[in-house]
Order: sequence, then C-alpha cells, then structure tokens
Amino acid sequence: MKIVHTDVLVIGGGLAGLRLAIGAKRRGHDAIILSLVPAKRSHSKAAQGGMQASLGNVAKGQGDNEDVHFEDTVRGSDWGADQEVVRMFVNTAPKAVRELAAWGVPWSRVRKGDRTVIINGQKVTITERDEAQGLVAQRDFGGTKKWRTCYAADGTGHAMINAVADQAIADSIPVHERMEALALIHDGNRCYGAVVRDLVSGELSAYVATATAVCTGGAGRVYRTTTNAVICEGIGHALALETGVSALGNMEAIQFHPTGIFPAGILVTEGCRGDGGLLKDVDGHRFMPDYEPEKKELASRDVVSRRMEEHIKKGKGHQSRFGTHLWLDITLLGEKHIHTNLREVWDICHYFLGVDPVKEMIPVRPAQHYTMGGVRTDASGQSATLKGLFSAGEASCWDMHGFNRLGGNSVAETVVAGMIVGESVADYCDAIANAPTVPMGLVREFVEREQAKLAAFTKAGGKEDASVIKGEMQDLMTAKVGIFRTGADLEEAVDKLQKLLVRSRSIGLRSPTLGANPELVTAYRVQRMLKVALTVAYGACVRTESRGAHFRQDYPQRNDAEWLKRTLATWKGDADTLPTLAYEALDVGRMELPPGWRGYGAKDYIDHPDTPARQSAVEAIRAQHAGDRFATQAALMPYEHLLPEYLRGRNERIDERFADGDRPAAATTGQ
Amino acid sequence: MTMNATPRNHRKLRFHILRYNPAKADDTPRVQVYELEEAPGMTLFIALTEIREKLDPSLQFDFVCRAGICGSCGMMINGRPSLACRSVTQSFPEDIWLAPLPVFELIGDLSVNTGKWMRGMSEKLETWVHLQQEKLDFTRIEKPMDPALAEEVYELDRCIECGCCVAGCGTARMREDFVGAVGLNKIARFRLDPRDARTDEDFYELVGDDNGVFGCMSLLGCHDVCPKQLPLQTQIAFLRRKMVAQGTKG
Amino acid sequence: MSSNQETIAGVGLADRPRKSRWPARMDLAQSTTGLVLALFMWGHMFFVSTILISKDAMWAVTKMFEGYFFFGKAYPGIVSLVVATILAILVLHAFLAMRKFPANYRQYREFVAHKNLMHHGDTTLWWWQVLTGFALFFLAAAHLYQMLMHPGDIGPYPSADRVWTGSWWPLYLVMLFAVELHGGIGLYRLCVKWGWLEGKDPAASRAKLKTAKWVLTAFFLALGLLTLGAYMKIGYEHRDRAGEVYTPAWVQPNPMEKAP
Repeated sequence: MKIVHTDVLVIGGGLAGLRLAIGAKRRGHDAIILSLVPAKRSHSKAAQGGMQASLGNVAKGQGDNEDVHFEDTVRGSDWGADQEVVRMFVNTAPKAVRELAAWGVPWSRVRKGDRTVIINGQKVTITERDEAQGLVAQRDFGGTKKWRTCYAADGTGHAMINAVADQAIADSIPVHERMEALALIHDGNRCYGAVVRDLVSGELSAYVATATAVCTGGAGRVYRTTTNAVICEGIGHALALETGVSALGNMEAIQFHPTGIFPAGILVTEGCRGDGGLLKDVDGHRFMPDYEPEKKELASRDVVSRRMEEHIKKGKGHQSRFGTHLWLDITLLGEKHIHTNLREVWDICHYFLGVDPVKEMIPVRPAQHYTMGGVRTDASGQSATLKGLFSAGEASCWDMHGFNRLGGNSVAETVVAGMIVGESVADYCDAIANAPTVPMGLVREFVEREQAKLAAFTKAGGKEDASVIKGEMQDLMTAKVGIFRTGADLEEAVDKLQKLLVRSRSIGLRSPTLGANPELVTAYRVQRMLKVALTVAYGACVRTESRGAHFRQDYPQRNDAEWLKRTLATWKGDADTLPTLAYEALDVGRMELPPGWRGYGAKDYIDHPDTPARQSAVEAIRAQHAGDRFATQAALMPYEHLLPEYLRGRNERIDERFADGDRPAAATTGQ
Repeated sequence: MTMNATPRNHRKLRFHILRYNPAKADDTPRVQVYELEEAPGMTLFIALTEIREKLDPSLQFDFVCRAGICGSCGMMINGRPSLACRSVTQSFPEDIWLAPLPVFELIGDLSVNTGKWMRGMSEKLETWVHLQQEKLDFTRIEKPMDPALAEEVYELDRCIECGCCVAGCGTARMREDFVGAVGLNKIARFRLDPRDARTDEDFYELVGDDNGVFGCMSLLGCHDVCPKQLPLQTQIAFLRRKMVAQGTKG
Repeated sequence: MSSNQETIAGVGLADRPRKSRWPARMDLAQSTTGLVLALFMWGHMFFVSTILISKDAMWAVTKMFEGYFFFGKAYPGIVSLVVATILAILVLHAFLAMRKFPANYRQYREFVAHKNLMHHGDTTLWWWQVLTGFALFFLAAAHLYQMLMHPGDIGPYPSADRVWTGSWWPLYLVMLFAVELHGGIGLYRLCVKWGWLEGKDPAASRAKLKTAKWVLTAFFLALGLLTLGAYMKIGYEHRDRAGEVYTPAWVQPNPMEKAP
C-alpha cells in the first residue's frame, strides 16, 4: 500500500484550496494539493464579473466600507448567514484584493475624470476623483448598495487563479493532478487524511495528514441545467457526509443564476446587468421594474431568478426551438465596452450561440449556479464534529452566504477563507496535541474498504447503468428541486432519489477495468452525488418556509419564528437512504443586524420572538456610540478575536486615510 | 413549440477518433469510427459525452468548464489544435477527425497531460510575480497602476494554457524543450507587469536561448490557432527584440 | 547592471551559471545575413537582367563592378572580392540556419507530419524554405566557386557561353526557383519575426506582407526566367564562338586585352 505523508492535505485545487495551502506552507507546514484537473482549470476560473471588497475607490463606491458590505451580505443571505463570519469576511476582503494586486492580478483600474456609464437604461456621466486614478476599480452588482465589485474585465476568476496558482508554484507546493479522494480516513473523532485514487492508473493510495481540508467547490452537477463545470459534482460534500460524523449545513440553499445562456446553461456574468444590461421579455419589454421598482435588474439573484420564472409563467417568455427563455440586452452598452469589459461574454455568445451581443440580445434563463450549503465548519474553518477536518470556499458552510449569496461574494470568499482557514490549519498543525499519531491499521482498513467497493463494480454483475441513473437524478433535481418548490414535488423527488440511490448500489460496468475508466468514475461518483442530492431535496422538503433562494410556493413567507436555524445533515449508516437532519438555531440575541426586510423581494415574513428586543438593544447601542462606526460595531458584535492576528485591523480608503504611524505592526503580512 | 411539428433530417456524423491507451501493454493506436446523429447546437462536448454514454464507455477525453475558458479540451480537430467544447459540429463536414494534442504526454485516447507540461514550463520560466519587497502591508491603499497598462497585462493574462499553441508549433514538435508560445507570452506578460521586479537581464536567463525565444522560427502556427486570439506574433517579436538587445549589449 | 559583471557586492560569482550571449548574437546574425543575401540577390537579379535591355547595358554593368569606370581599367579581382564576401555570408547564414533544420529522423518525421496535418500556410512555407535552403547549399556554392575563380568570365558573351555551352543553365534554372522562393519567404518571415511593418493592425499588415511577398516572388521569377532565356538564346547563337569576349562597338580597344 502506497502511503504519502504530509502536514496538510488540501483536496481541491481551486482558489480556496490554493490560497489555503499557500497560507499553511508559509507558516512552515508541508502541503499537498489533490486536484481532479490541473489547478488552473478549476471552476474558480469561471468567475467572471468580480470580487466584492469595500475599497470605495470609484465615485459610485464612495462611502462604502465594511459596515455596508456586511449589511448587504446579511440581507442577501436572508439572515441565514453567520454574522460573525460575515464580519470576518468583509474585513478581510479588501486585504485580499490588495494582496492579489501585489501578486499580479491585473485588476481593472480607475481612470480619473468623466466617463459615461449606463444606469437604469440611461446614459449617466460619472466623474472619478483624481486621487482614485490607477486604483482598483469597482462595478455594480446585484444586491449591493455601493459599487463594490472589483474586477479584471470579465475574467476575474481566471486572472485570480492564474496569480494564486503561480504563487503556489513559486512556493513549490505540489499539486497532485488527476487524483481523486474517495474517502476521508477518520476514527469518528479525528480526520487523518484520505484514500486517494489516481485517475490515470486507477491505483489507490493513502494520503496521511495532520490536517485535511475539503476545498472542492460546488455540487451543481446534481442538476441538469447548471452553470457549473462538469467536475462540480459535490464529491467533497459527499466525502464529509460519508464520514457519518461531520455535517453538511443548509444544503437546500441552492442558488439559480438569472443569466445562464439558453439552452446550454453557460454563465454570462452579472456584470452584464451591473454595467447596465437589461432583462427583456418576448415583447422587448423591460419587465424587472414592474416587479422590483427599487433594485430592478440588480435585486439579489434569488429574487431576479424567481421574477424571471414568474414572468415566463405569465406567458411572456420567448418560444424557441429548444424551449422558452427571456432576453438579456447589453446592446446599449456599446461595442467598445463589450469588447473590453465583457470579452468573455462576447466569446461565449459568439461561439455557443452564434450571437453578436453588440447587436443582438442574448437568450437567457435561470440555471443552477451555486451551492450555499456545504461542510459545516466553525468560524476557524474546522468541522465542529470531526477534528482535523477543515473546509473552505464553496464546499464549506462557513456560513457567510446563508440562503442566498451575493454576486461577487463567492470568489471573494475563496481567497478570504483560504487566508483565514490557512492560518487555522497552521495553528492546528502547530499545536503539539495534534502531532500525528497515525493509526496505521485504520489507514489500511479504509484503503481496503474502498478497494473492495471498486472491485464490486467490476465483479458483482450489477445491471444498472451509471450514466442513466445520473441523468435521471439530474432531471429530477432540475424539475422538482428548482427555483419554485412545493411539498408535493419535493416529496416526490425525495422518494425517487431514494429509489435511485438503491438502484445505484447495483450498478454494473460495460467496461469493467480498474485502470483509467471513465465509466467506473461515473459509477462511484453517482452513488455519492445521490446522497448529496438527497441532502438538498430532503432538507428542502422539511424546511416549510421560504428563505433566500429556497422558495416554497406552499410556504411563501420567511418564518423566523420557526426556521431561523441552520439545517445540519449527516449520513449515519451505509445502508441509509436518507440523511439525518438536525438544526442549529441562529441566536438573534447576538446579531449585529437583527432580521428584517431585505430591501427587495417580498416584504412579509414572520418575526422571531427575540427580534424586537434585539432590535431595540441594537438601536440603543447605536445611539450610544453614534459617530464612531468602529466602536458601534465592537459593542454590537465583537468578532476580531476570531481573525488570525495578521488579518485584524482597519482597511485604509481614500476617505478613511491612515495617519502616518498609526498602523498596528501586527497587520503586516507575509510571515 | 413549432419545431416539433416538422421533424428535421439531421446529418449522420462520423467521428474518426484516435484510440490508444498507453497504460495497456497490448494496446496499439488505431482510428475508431463512431456514428452519431447531429443535434441542433451540438458541440463536440455534447457529441463526445453522448458517444461515451451510449456507444463506448471507455473513451477518454477531458472537459471541465465546457464554456471555452478552462483550456482542458484542446485536441486536434480535423488536423488543427482547437478547443473541443466550443467547436460546433455544424461548422464541420460530416466526417470529423479527432486526435490528441501532440507534444504532450498521452494519457489515453483524446486525453493528454497538459497540466504536467504547463507546471514544468511555469517552474522553468518562473511565471510568477517576483515581488520587490517581501513584506507588504495590505491594510494600506494599493499601489496605483496605469489603467491602460493594467488592460495590456490582462490581455496577455488571458492565456488558458490549453496547449493549442504548443501543438500548433513546428518547433515544439521537433524540440521537446522548447517553451512554446505559452511560455514566451508569459514572460512578455510578467515583463510588462510593473509589480514584477525582474529586468531584461533576468528574463534573458530564462528565455535567452534556443529553447526560449531564439528557438521560435516564426511559423505563427501558435498565433493562428490560439483560441483566445492572444497577440502572440507581436509579443514574441517584441520579446525577441528585447532579448537580442539584452544579449548583444556590453 | 552590465551582463559581464562577474562579481556582485564584491563577491566573485564566476561560477554562477549564466546564459550564453551567443544565442542572441546568432539569432541576430542569422537574420542579418539572410537580409543581406536577399537584398544582394534582388540587386544581382536586376544587374544580370540588364541583358534584357541590351548586351551593351549588361557589359557596362559588368565593367562597373570591375571598377573600369573608376580606374579606367578592369580589375576582375574586385568581383572575386565581392564573391568571397557573399560566399562567406552564405556559409555563415547556412551554418546558422542549419540549427533550425530537423536534426534527426524523429524531428524530420514530426515536422512533416505536423505540416501535412495542419495545412497551415506559414508552416508549409517554412518547409519550402528548408528544402530550397538545402538545395542552395550546393547550387549557390557551385555558382559562387565558379565566380570566385573566374571573375572575369562575366559579360554578355562569357556569361551566355557559360549558361549554354558550359551547360550551367539547368543549375541556374533550379537555383532561380530556389533562390526566389527562399529569399521571398525569408524576407516575409523576417518582417513577422522582428515585428517590422506591423502597423496598428498586425493581422492586416501580415496579410499585406504575404501578398507583397508573392507579388515580388512572381516578379523576380518572371524576370529571372526571361533573363535566363535571354542568356540561353545568346549562348546558343554564340555557341560556335564560345570563349569570345564581348566588346561594345564604342569601346576600343578591348579593355580585357593587354596593351600590345
């Protein structure tokens, strides 16, 4: 049996995994990254529009700061987020952008003076300040009060992962490509690494590590129509789930992006709307202002997606040979803007639709886009129930997104969580108590168990076809666990998914070899995907309220009284066909921003009994510290102690200059 | 939907695919033909996935983003390296020839190890920003950068490392140590980046030989097949001038 | 910092591996020699084609190169000198260009397969450059050696006699095609290699350069064929008096003849 030893095993070579590994490595711990694909091909690359960080450089971002970003994010989450984590995030995001700027990300920069932009369908002239010349620029995104989304044209994730992956190479961090983790090695209390399969040779080995981090991204491929890459199959989620110990949080919270191109589902960025693009119906009518007079096209994604589907149901969709869709119109932005700031969009339209978005409208319809739920961790990024298991990025439920993520907050989360959790991992490895005492018998047992499971596919003579089961699951999820959900649909979905799970236990292979074998890969993945799909469907079925992206037609209200809590799903036994659900209440009494109206979307919700009391307490504290936003915040909800020391401290802005010499030394990075 | 009323006659496509699994001791390279009915809007991603699901579960190929941005699916399509995911079958005749990218290590069938090659190139050419100073304070306002320069850097940073330029390069096919247009473009990119402290003297150490910029014979295969339309011709010429100036001075 | 500085901060770092400067020099030299040869060739073609104007015109050009109009006397040695220089440049160019040729069978096979698969114009053109360049090793060398040793044998009759009676015309015919293709492609490649004449739209400029390249090649091939034809005709008509030197009617005495 081949065993690889390392301090830190990072599963997933996207932005979160890379940044986490860099953090751990710079603290002196060896890290190995496992990746299904070369790191730079990870799905992080597909983030187009940008990364939110309250730099406030552009005129329309003036007055932006951590407080505004915090409120936008919490409102976006429909109060599902962990507010302490959101605070950690918004305070670190500007530092992350600046670190990336130093690492070579070609952020688009501010040009001083007048420029013409499109706002609400009108040409508007904005004057950028002289002192902003050359600083990182921001664009508008949905659900935000200020222009906050930093971007590199519309290839932001691409530029970011180039820079971060290159830093990982500079730090000599090995990326073991085409390697797939099949199971986490654990004893019920602590995680010791993973059983890993070489996708080229089929060989199994054990990677034994002090700390293991799941950074595997989303689970979009449990759906048929998704913007996600084909590798986003939720396998990291399944790894944690199959331990039976660590939990998945809020898996029913699935985001649908308003503008997947129709019918392929490939994403065109929110930046299209942020930069002034409009949604139109079959009559060429701009319909969003009818539903959302305030934020219009730039309400949060869950709201815009629902409004679009609602409009289609009213018969206002355009009928095409592939089905019904709406239109995204960016022709008003002009050729120059599209060719410089929306180049990938142009490329995608050109190659996949044969459409020139400079002259024609783009056919769009909402498509599955983001998995808000994931491996439940505490604020440090560690599983509360399985020591030594960490998670960061989309795979995690660190919980800064709650039930709906804002555009631009996901790539931001990847690097910010990578920075923070990287430190936690290093702290964990530093602690003597965690010195590796590897139970080798356990390691062997796990490898043999996986070996036996694989052998069963080739020998047991099962008759089920893996890709057929996968297809049925995807269709079912898209049809029944989509944007509009009902109890009946969800029950049907849960029932059918369970049957599919049972069937998946007798998959047979037409090409029964254990080496490089795509069919075998589909076979063992579909079993895991079904478990993940069940956490989504079952979680949605039980949650009888609507919150963020989770919308129940039979329970259209947000119900804080009963449901201001996080779903925790675990998978107790191998023979089970349903996850075990538990709930973790969110403490209104500690919230900096007590639940209320989001500022867009439906206005009716059922209050939590503690909300009024907390609301008046918050108002009292605000009055007491009026004029000092830092003191106010510290009094409302202290969080800085949760951050690694070097990430504490304020962020300088044009409007919040540091006086020379008032900088705490601790905030210097690059240890 | 009106389309359902008039069933259309779709073309029968014939995919001629080079099959070979180097991991199997007894395998020999051969061309296998698969027939598939064309569907509207069909890309090679859709077609190959269908072939694998319905006709041959053992067929190996790589797709990740299927949106033309990750660079995983470079392959020889009717003789030219290109991204399969965004190649629409309509633009081809009924016979479509698919082969793995040459130069790179073959994993099996259409799957090649571009990742290993690119990592090796990156390590050799040190394709990362070499900071002027070790410690930076990220709480302070970032250093300004000329907006036009940032756009120029982004332009070169758009490379997706798909390997098409390498497969389309006569030099790379003859000489395995040649860094290819992808490598030269990266050097041009970091050379342009004011955050990188390296000088032409440093860059000469990396590409100032026949495995680097002087190995390029200006066949421009790279430029003509680049799926991202990077200005490789211009950049390599520019780099050649700078490296010759560096190499012949003093 | 000078590239030759071998100490840094006063510490000898002579062992620090440094890239040789020679690849840069060789790359520049390959292009420079190529450019010189291509321009020489065009000039050469214009000079020999003066036969199409008249024998006298060609005679005058010949004598000009022998210094007749400067010194009042012909010095064929000058021609030898020019030929020797060109030969040296040619040898240098061939030596440098050879580095780029397929060096073994594997490379040969890879390139040919690549060219046949890609159907890519500039790649195919390079292969023509390799083939013509290879041919020119021999063809040009033979021609230049002849000129080096018999510098005086240039003129309306001596040249024509060499072409016809001396049976050089098959060599010249092949060489004409080789030289014009090689030089034309080479000049085009020099432009794209160094980014000359790129303009604001490099793609459009490249297309224009390519057109210009073909037009020039066609022009010089036509001119070359006519010229070669003219020499063959003169040589054929003069075959009985081969060896006789041409002297224009207006020049007396024959400058080649030693004064009695």
